[in-house]
Amino acid sequence: MDILIPDSWLKDYLKTTAKPEKIAECLSLCGPSVEKVTPLRQGSVGGKDALYSIEVTTNRVDSAGVYGIAREAAAILPRFKVKAEFLPIKIKNIQRLAQRVEWLDVQVDHNLCLRFSAVLIRDVKLAPSPKLIQERLTAVGVRPINNVVDISNYLMHELGQPVHTFDYDKIGIYDKILGAKMILRSSKKGEKVTTLDGKSHDLPGGDIVIEDSKGRLIDLCGIMGGENSAVDEETHNVLLFVQTYTGKNIRRTSMALAARSEAASLFEKGLDPELVEQTIRRGIDLFVEICKGNPEKEILDLYPSPYEPKIVKTDLNFINERLGIYVSTSQVESYLAPLGFVTSVQGDALNITVPSWRAQDVDIPEDIVEEVARIYGYHNLPSRVMEGQIPDPLPDTPFSFEKKIKEALQSWGGIEVYTFSMVAKDKADLTGSASWVLKLKNPLGADSEYMRLSLAPSLVDAALQNRGESAPFHLFELANVYLPVRANLPEERMIAAGIFANTEFAQAKGTLEALFEILKSKVILTTQDGKGFAPHHRIAIRAGREELGQFGKLQLSGHWYWEIDIEALRKVSSITHSFKPLPKYPPQVEDLSLVILPRVHLGEVIEAIYKSDSQVMSVELKDSYENTRTLRVSYQNPDKTLTDREVEVIRNKVLKILEKKFGVKLKT
Amino acid sequence: MEEQIQNLRNQAIARIMALASTEEVEEAKLEYLGRSGKINEVTRQIPSLEPERRSVVGQLINDAREAIEQALIAQITEIKNKTDKNKWFDPTIPGNKPQIGHLHLVTQAIEEISSIFREIGFSRARYPEVEWDWYAFESLNMPHDHPARDEWETFFLDTPENPKLGKMVLTPHTSNGQVREMERVTNPPAGGPPIRMINIAKCYRRQSDVSHVPMFHQFEGLVVDRGISIVHLKGTLDYFARRFFGSERKTRLRPYHFQFTEPSFEVDISCGVCLGRGCKLCKSGWLELGGAGMVHPNVLKAGNIDSTKYSGFAFGWGVERTHMMKSGLKMEDIRTLYSSDLRYLRQF
Repeated sequence: MDILIPDSWLKDYLKTTAKPEKIAECLSLCGPSVEKVTPLRQGSVGGKDALYSIEVTTNRVDSAGVYGIAREAAAILPRFKVKAEFLPIKIKNIQRLAQRVEWLDVQVDHNLCLRFSAVLIRDVKLAPSPKLIQERLTAVGVRPINNVVDISNYLMHELGQPVHTFDYDKIGIYDKILGAKMILRSSKKGEKVTTLDGKSHDLPGGDIVIEDSKGRLIDLCGIMGGENSAVDEETHNVLLFVQTYTGKNIRRTSMALAARSEAASLFEKGLDPELVEQTIRRGIDLFVEICKGNPEKEILDLYPSPYEPKIVKTDLNFINERLGIYVSTSQVESYLAPLGFVTSVQGDALNITVPSWRAQDVDIPEDIVEEVARIYGYHNLPSRVMEGQIPDPLPDTPFSFEKKIKEALQSWGGIEVYTFSMVAKDKADLTGSASWVLKLKNPLGADSEYMRLSLAPSLVDAALQNRGESAPFHLFELANVYLPVRANLPEERMIAAGIFANTEFAQAKGTLEALFEILKSKVILTTQDGKGFAPHHRIAIRAGREELGQFGKLQLSGHWYWEIDIEALRKVSSITHSFKPLPKYPPQVEDLSLVILPRVHLGEVIEAIYKSDSQVMSVELKDSYENTRTLRVSYQNPDKTLTDREVEVIRNKVLKILEKKFGVKLKT
Repeated sequence: MEEQIQNLRNQAIARIMALASTEEVEEAKLEYLGRSGKINEVTRQIPSLEPERRSVVGQLINDAREAIEQALIAQITEIKNKTDKNKWFDPTIPGNKPQIGHLHLVTQAIEEISSIFREIGFSRARYPEVEWDWYAFESLNMPHDHPARDEWETFFLDTPENPKLGKMVLTPHTSNGQVREMERVTNPPAGGPPIRMINIAKCYRRQSDVSHVPMFHQFEGLVVDRGISIVHLKGTLDYFARRFFGSERKTRLRPYHFQFTEPSFEVDISCGVCLGRGCKLCKSGWLELGGAGMVHPNVLKAGNIDSTKYSGFAFGWGVERTHMMKSGLKMEDIRTLYSSDLRYLRQF
């Protein structure tokens, strides 16, 4: 949480001559982070001032107020050779703490409220607050209302303890003999309360509430007071109320009702019950001074299980090992003392008593390490990479394979995109009607509600986004798809996919073929129709029986699209290079112009030529014209140069097979 | 005989060097090296020699042939050079570029980050994006109702809860890899720590505005070994900062709080413009990089590692943010990074 603190207010509890900028710098390095310091121009009272914006982490609710920050500063500044002294709060009143008082009869569920305190202040004179208080509250972003309300806010910002004030005369029917009555209890589901901002709430149940003798709910504890018991212009008698509520309940209520008050965000982090007495006494002083009120002689204080000092045991070795340097016990002691820790030393063993305001946050030796280290100054520690043994690398990771794919595609002009994993329902895969897709419970919108099963729809969108481009382009992506698994996490399958726009078939397919060539992938391409692809325009990429991917023309958008399962491809690819000696005898090369009948796949023809004789070394498409395909065929024998006569024998064999199998003839 | 060959050679070279046109060179080539040229003429005399002289003469003839061949080539080049001088050629005509491809900025950043950590013995991992609450929160010392969870705007999946591992979420950080990596090294046959992991993966948070993308990438460093201290964390981060941002840059730790580390830090890097002195860009001389800390003993415990023997540190930072801080890239809307508009992609 972020808090604002005027420098002049801080100096009420911190004696130092340091400039605000210096204080900010030192605090940020060793304690709460001061995000900025802004100059404050105030009226006559405050004079020149500065405002700190401070980020207080969730574990350090003890420093969510002026007083707590002063304590931190007093511990930190001397480490920067800046003189500083913490000035503890001065209390004037000497009211007695009592478990029963005649002006208030309460019943408290202590599972909800660790400590319950209240004091009745009679005859308060409602008026505007003194200028200083008004200025300070304005500076921290609180609008001054009147002295009673302002005191509550002032106390919270000063000490980090929320307080509440009731109009005593509005609580139930005030009974001269019995006094007022209150029951602090857990709410039932459906109970209603209207808070003093006029909002009415239907309670979810389990909220901390106070019921008065008339059975009305008069407080939504820790969040906001009830409208029916609020202080107003007519108020004479104020009930000052300071409690430690159970953080969990406050948090649940404030989340459920979306009522995120400052008080709630303090309570939910777990406040120090010891802070209650300090706050109520400081409150009494302010009410006497500012409102001319008459406090009762006793403070009602119900605190059945008081704080017992907590001791963390550790030793010097442990601290030094974690720090990575040597500090002495006396150094440890001197860093901890101003923070309120008491260190007792027995040899190297340290028994450290934790102050009540840090009991929530300091439990284990590591917490002590943090205190010592930050006050010593992280910036003062040396910096060194660990020596130690280098762990074995993870076996068989896919990263270099993926990198190779990306770099190959890029080098052939491919442009890599990253599209979102969450898509609209009809974009989960190419069919647009997948039946089993992982769905988000709380999506940002319907267009990102499902975890995609395919990259295709996202890549189509990406291509369409660039409709204005007339030049060919190839967009590709490597990303996971999420295949649901019953009662388990989905299978996250890494897919490489790409889409070609303004691109000829041969160009698109050639890119894929080149990819398989450089990856040395043993894959087979076969024609096979499939969903989402135009008829006769799809090729299945297979290894044995397993289909690893597909390539083809998308039915809807007309783009050439490919996708492939990277892990499966990696299994049939090879990164090692094999070496074959160069042939000793030159090949014989000739072009064959073949007339191909409709419905004959050239791929199968080429395949048949390869298979017809082991001396056929390569077959490449040289030229295409109408129904004629010119293939460049090379023949080679490892043991001799083939004669024209020998080539003729092979050629005739090839042509015979082609004619028989496909009706393919040499063009005449 | 030898003398005759020598004369032939000298005479031929002298003549070739005097030739002025390529046609004349061609003629000379025929005259000396052709089928019935002068070289073959002398070659044909070899069989009539005494056997012991044949190889010597043969060698001489070969040498002469090579010398003449070279002279012919040299003369042709010479003639061409002379004529080219007068020929107009315009080298300012633009070239014919191959299609230029682009790797995404995120890929480039991931590559660079992982290679730097590889240098100091880290190996790269990639743990799940769809994750159990246990790995994303609970095992990281963040019990169910903990307010610290508010900082992660988490996406939940509409699936039944697992009785042990809790809800299914989209992991909001790469820290889910911490306990997974600990489990990997403590499960047989692996022999336990040391760990030096860098987990790079997609993360998701329920936020979308000019400074937040619902899907982004983080890199998570995790080191677990005997005697790991804050000094080692500083050393590692400084190493990364110097290699990634430049040798003059430094990091700085400030106190912070995370549930899964103790102590926890906010890591700053000295500003690249003023090198820490303070300037208009950075104000204080430092820029915020991300969080880090010493692994909390409860997290080690959740990963079956004995926290009395081992300690460790961890850090998890945004890939995009770190990269943008390096390049000084300023994007008014960070979501632009995930645009598929070619006009953006081609700039990478």
